[in-house]
Amino acid sequence: MIKVNNIIKSYGKKGSVFKALSDVSFSIPEGSTVAIVGKSGSGKSTLMHIMSGLDHPDSGSVTVGGQELHTLKGRAMDKFRANEMSFIFQAFFVEANQTCYQNVSLPLEIADEGHRQKRIENALDQVGLKDKIHNKAGSLSGGQKQRLAIARAIVNNPSLIFADEPTGNLDSATGEMIIKLLFKLNRKNKNTLVVVTHDDELADRCHYRITLKDGKVIHFSENKKVSKKQ
Amino acid sequence: MKIVDISRRSARNLKQAKARTLLTALAIGVGAFALTMTLAASNGAQAYVNRLINNNFDPTELLVAKDETIFGRGDNSQPQEYDPSFGSVSSASGAPIQVKQVTEEEVNKILQYPLVEGVREGVILNVQYVTRQGQKKYIANIQDFNPARNPEALAGSIPRPLSDSSVLLPEAYVSKLGFKNAQSAIGQEVIIAIRKSLSSQILESGVAPRSLQEAEAIADKSTVLVPFTVAAVLKPEPAQPGTELSLQISSKAAKNLNDIATAGTSQYRQYTTINVKVRDGEDKAKLKQVQEQLRKDGFSSQSVEETQEFLTQIINVLKAIVAAFGIIAIVASVFGVVNTMYISVLQRTREIGLMKALGMRRRDVSRLFRFEAAWIGFLGGALGSGFAFILGTLLNPWITQKLDFGTQKLLIFKANQIAVLILLLVLVAIFAGLLPARKASKLDPIEALRTE
Repeated sequence: MIKVNNIIKSYGKKGSVFKALSDVSFSIPEGSTVAIVGKSGSGKSTLMHIMSGLDHPDSGSVTVGGQELHTLKGRAMDKFRANEMSFIFQAFFVEANQTCYQNVSLPLEIADEGHRQKRIENALDQVGLKDKIHNKAGSLSGGQKQRLAIARAIVNNPSLIFADEPTGNLDSATGEMIIKLLFKLNRKNKNTLVVVTHDDELADRCHYRITLKDGKVIHFSENKKVSKKQ
Repeated sequence: MKIVDISRRSARNLKQAKARTLLTALAIGVGAFALTMTLAASNGAQAYVNRLINNNFDPTELLVAKDETIFGRGDNSQPQEYDPSFGSVSSASGAPIQVKQVTEEEVNKILQYPLVEGVREGVILNVQYVTRQGQKKYIANIQDFNPARNPEALAGSIPRPLSDSSVLLPEAYVSKLGFKNAQSAIGQEVIIAIRKSLSSQILESGVAPRSLQEAEAIADKSTVLVPFTVAAVLKPEPAQPGTELSLQISSKAAKNLNDIATAGTSQYRQYTTINVKVRDGEDKAKLKQVQEQLRKDGFSSQSVEETQEFLTQIINVLKAIVAAFGIIAIVASVFGVVNTMYISVLQRTREIGLMKALGMRRRDVSRLFRFEAAWIGFLGGALGSGFAFILGTLLNPWITQKLDFGTQKLLIFKANQIAVLILLLVLVAIFAGLLPARKASKLDPIEALRTE
């Protein structure tokens, strides 16, 4: 279970306090897909940052696999993130000058894991980039770059993958392919996938849909159809 | 994260910015070049000094004088009162210096010291000329042969001890004195002409010259011709410039010639410096003991080691000057490294953000950049030192020839020195990379990953 409990987060100093999240709570089972939707400024990025431990809430807690995230300090937090979480971004953030192999290798290096060659090949195979393993990331198309980012996200087999507008920079056909890939991998690898998006179509295909407005959860629903299909 | 992974990643980052890396490294390289050359040149100078000293001095001997001035310790800034018993010397600038002399009695007194084995007066005198039957006359300079020296002989061999009627002839005189070659000079006789002092000329002739002609006639008559047998022909010694025209004879023979030249003057049997041989002088304590005794009796003395120290000091000052320039170059290059590293951090803000989001520790992020700086330092050091080494090795024969150093190399490169230098530059570069590395490690991943 991933539990989010009474998260409150505000920015700014006295007088001009901006409440980014006020009392956000929900819980989702592990291995599911969750869409966090809302307009820009609704607090979805802040929620993602807090759920991933990059940011600290003013109050409230996030529990991932029984571990209360924000009680972890410094090194322990880094270690937990290195082993349990990964990210996919709208702008890919792959290193253009490095080969696909080197890009995917990064999380393994950070987590200090062995058997890299095999794991990297396997991850690239899952996203269909195995033949590009020694190509520079800069030579890839947008869709390929995002697939590479996905390979980097799954190589360490984390329990939680955050995808921040994963299709935002892609045309609809390529975006569709990426979405299919993400869900396919979710079914296969059983990692929890948290997608931050304002794409309703994408949100509809997730098990859970959390809609934020002005820092509050205004809608939480389970998509039975998707759940059943699994 | 493993050190090897961090190191590999930082090396890769540098490779991606080749021009920038190379230029920054070159700045360090300039300093490394200067320092490597300085080290090599001072090694060479040190070796040269050591050779000079070992060829010319006996480490068991002490150089003894009555006057501190000889060792550059006295004060000559004030006019000195004239003293006829003093010898007078011109300083390098031509200013007159009178130097207190060591007398015969004092020599004998020193010979009584329990630890003293012998005294060599170290006579250097300009004789009137040197010649041979039926040959022209040539001016010459006579030196007493220092038994501790082992000069290279072109022909013949140096007898030990050198007999009082033998002479070691410099190569330059072989053809001038009409010998076919060095070998044919061996065993032949050469004549050294020495003129008695003016006062003894007048005393011996018993008449006072009333014209220049008369005076010259007296002087000619009072020229003493001393025959010597050539024992060996010496190769010019490049480590001892200025001695290529010195004829060397035994200490006793030199003293005799000196006596002839100085009889009747205040300089008779007076010596500016003498060489005191200490029994078992390899033992520094014994040298010190004799020096102490000499000091009590009013002499000043210098061991070979001290002489060497003085020369070494000069070399050290020169070294320090060049090294200072090298260090200035390196200090300047530090700013280059800082600048480059800051640019590197800025360029890779997103990458740093990603790495931190993926759980990379702050320490490792900082390390990544410190390694990058270290690589730049290493590259600069290796380039500068390597270039210095190649250039030095190529130029060495040419420089040696130009400076007439003989077999001595001016630039001596030592691998361990270069290794230490490169290591030092790596440390300097890491130091320069500290601030940018800190900036990188403190980067907020949320800010860094904000798209736009």
